[in-house]
Amino acid sequence: MAKSLLIISRQSPWSGPGAREALDIVLAGGAFDLPIGLLFLDDGVLQLAAGQSAKVLQQKDLSANLQALPMFGVEELFYCADSASTRGLGNLSLAEAQPLAAEQITALIDRYDQVITL
Amino acid sequence: MKFAIALFSAAHAPSSRRALLFAQAALAGGHEIVRLFFYQDGVYNASDAVVTPQDELDLPKQWRTFITEQKLDGVVCIAAALRRGALNAEEAKRYQREAISVSAPWELSGLGQLHDAVQDADSLICFGGA
Amino acid sequence: MSTLHVLSHSPFGDDRLTSCLRLIGSADALLLSGDAVYALQPGTAPFTALQNRQIKLFVLAEDTQARAIDVPDWAEAIDYPAFVELSIHHDKVNSWL
Repeated sequence: MAKSLLIISRQSPWSGPGAREALDIVLAGGAFDLPIGLLFLDDGVLQLAAGQSAKVLQQKDLSANLQALPMFGVEELFYCADSASTRGLGNLSLAEAQPLAAEQITALIDRYDQVITL
Repeated sequence: MKFAIALFSAAHAPSSRRALLFAQAALAGGHEIVRLFFYQDGVYNASDAVVTPQDELDLPKQWRTFITEQKLDGVVCIAAALRRGALNAEEAKRYQREAISVSAPWELSGLGQLHDAVQDADSLICFGGA
Repeated sequence: MSTLHVLSHSPFGDDRLTSCLRLIGSADALLLSGDAVYALQPGTAPFTALQNRQIKLFVLAEDTQARAIDVPDWAEAIDYPAFVELSIHHDKVNSWL
């Protein structure tokens, strides 16, 4: 049975390559049919803010990749509810991502075999 | 115990030295390292172009020696490497660049190798950040 | 199930320690390495936060020595072989990169 891997993405979308390179790990895992989960935590939830425009900064638009995750077999998508509310995020652009409270995140990390927090 | 060790920071970051010391301790403790995977700024550890003063810690050289002597699998993420300008001869030719900074024992490959290592190992340890 | 969390950033002006303490489980352990050992500077908010939590707290000895930080009796200073053993003892390692 394949080991499951949780990726915890903590970077805002355009603070550097962090957000994109976290997503690349998820997409690669999905492409190999591995059990992968993705949690947006701290500034990572900013990747899910609605109405963003990567084009204006001449950056890659990650939202298309995010929307494609279920197609890659990655359906375990979560975000930290506290991180979102501290950052004033109401409507999130990724409808499939489930909000989690702190203790639910503790349990989530426990559920997975391995974790990468970047 | 089988370890997969992933490094996300450049040679000058203290976490890179910690990764090497951990890896050495793992082998000294009789454990196995299934793969060393270098991602994000970790790809810079594979660069031949890093020049270190004689009286300072030369981490790229230490990694190279460690991987060669212990016959380990040192894999550098190709996408992260290209983005940061760490090319081997094959990629330099492909993209018609003059600068070649990555050579054996380092191997450029995809993220599949990281996933493969995670599946194979008992434990994944990541180093990076600061 | 238990996780070894590893921190390596200074707790001042960085939110990794705060986030980690929000999410760390009762069976988990925390290893402070690199600048994260500054959290053991007495008289600081991070020091108080750690002292008040009942976590299994470890610190990389070389980093406290380099920074002249005393290791309180509620934390254990370890070397690299012990770091390896600690990583084996827990089900997984979560490094806050």
